Amino acid sequence: MQQGRELQEEEEDGGPERALEKSPFELTAADVYDISSVVGRDLLQLSSGPRGPGALARLQFRIVRVLEMLEALVSEGSLAEEQLRLERDSLRRELEQLRRAAVPTAEQLSLGPDKMVIDLTDPNRPRFTLQELRDVLQERNQLKAQLLVVQEELQCYKSESVLSPRMGCKKDLATNSFTPKAALLHPLFLIYIINSLGQEATSSRHKMS
Amino acid sequence: MAKKTYDLLFKLLLIGDSGVGKTCVLFRFSDDAFNTTFISTIGIDFKIKTVELQGKKIKLQIWDTAGQERFHTITTSYYRGAMGIMLVYDITNAKSFENISKWLRNIDEHANEDVERMLLGNKCDMEDKRVVPKAKGEQIAREHGIRFFETSAKANINIEKAFLTLAEDILRKTPVKEPNSENVDISSGGGVTGWKSKCC
Repeated sequence: MQQGRELQEEEEDGGPERALEKSPFELTAADVYDISSVVGRDLLQLSSGPRGPGALARLQFRIVRVLEMLEALVSEGSLAEEQLRLERDSLRRELEQLRRAAVPTAEQLSLGPDKMVIDLTDPNRPRFTLQELRDVLQERNQLKAQLLVVQEELQCYKSESVLSPRMGCKKDLATNSFTPKAALLHPLFLIYIINSLGQEATSSRHKMS
Repeated sequence: MAKKTYDLLFKLLLIGDSGVGKTCVLFRFSDDAFNTTFISTIGIDFKIKTVELQGKKIKLQIWDTAGQERFHTITTSYYRGAMGIMLVYDITNAKSFENISKWLRNIDEHANEDVERMLLGNKCDMEDKRVVPKAKGEQIAREHGIRFFETSAKANINIEKAFLTLAEDILRKTPVKEPNSENVDISSGGGVTGWKSKCC
């Protein structure tokens, strides 16, 4: 049924020969089949039937027409190809530009609202944690407290020695033979200072734990 | 053990905005000196000064905090051990006065409930640059039921008076007891500490 209707339509349009009259740019695959059948029919007539000059001329005309169509399509195709190539290149350039512009945006996006960027080449960049600062401050203040204790004891040795050379702050250390100045310079005194420092450190550590 | 050099140890704390003069107030009290160059305190520092009140030798361990926000977590850990807190603002700096409520909130959040508080309006020698009237300082102190002094570390106005008054207020509510033999505890935290020295 369908085939019958198509045949009918072709006949209404003027048969397969009409395909040769169409613009090459309006050709469809069906038109090519039509041309093929027309040329085939002509070749069949030439090879079998009586040779008329008309048939040969007709075939020549049709072949020339087909070649013209091919030429038009080929030049149109290469033109289109050139256009497409230009378009592709410009799109490539545009993409490259967009990529380059998107680099900083991407970095910003990966950073949360509470993040910051650190310049690793900056000699004054932040390097230590709050906990490390806390520890250093605590140690500094402990040493300062120990120093104050030692200074106080030293003062006490000085004043007591001046008042009474016989009476030291610690009786086992400050013996009668010590003069005030000698007492301060005596190695035993230094050992005492170092020991009391150690005791301070130990006791403060005990307190902390 | 020899006899002790003092009867009580009080821990005090200085807080307030950066640059109001906390370190200078303390330096005036401990060393009776003043330095005009501004060196921002890093985190926390302390000084010790012994005073005599009502026949008692009292060792004041005074903690000086950094006012800068970035040290906040370090400084607030020292509130707990304080028996007295001095909140300092600068009478030439309106912002430092506005922030008083913020500092009072910090005290409520981090300090002992019975801590003795005091408000100081420092730099009162700079009358020509004053932006906070004395009456405003007195009013906010009254609203919070705390003592108030205008001070000048530079001109040595009310500095000793402020520290001695705070120490007296703490002494007044300190139960009379025999001091124990604890040493200086410089770690944060801890409460009333008696003091007994090794010599003299």
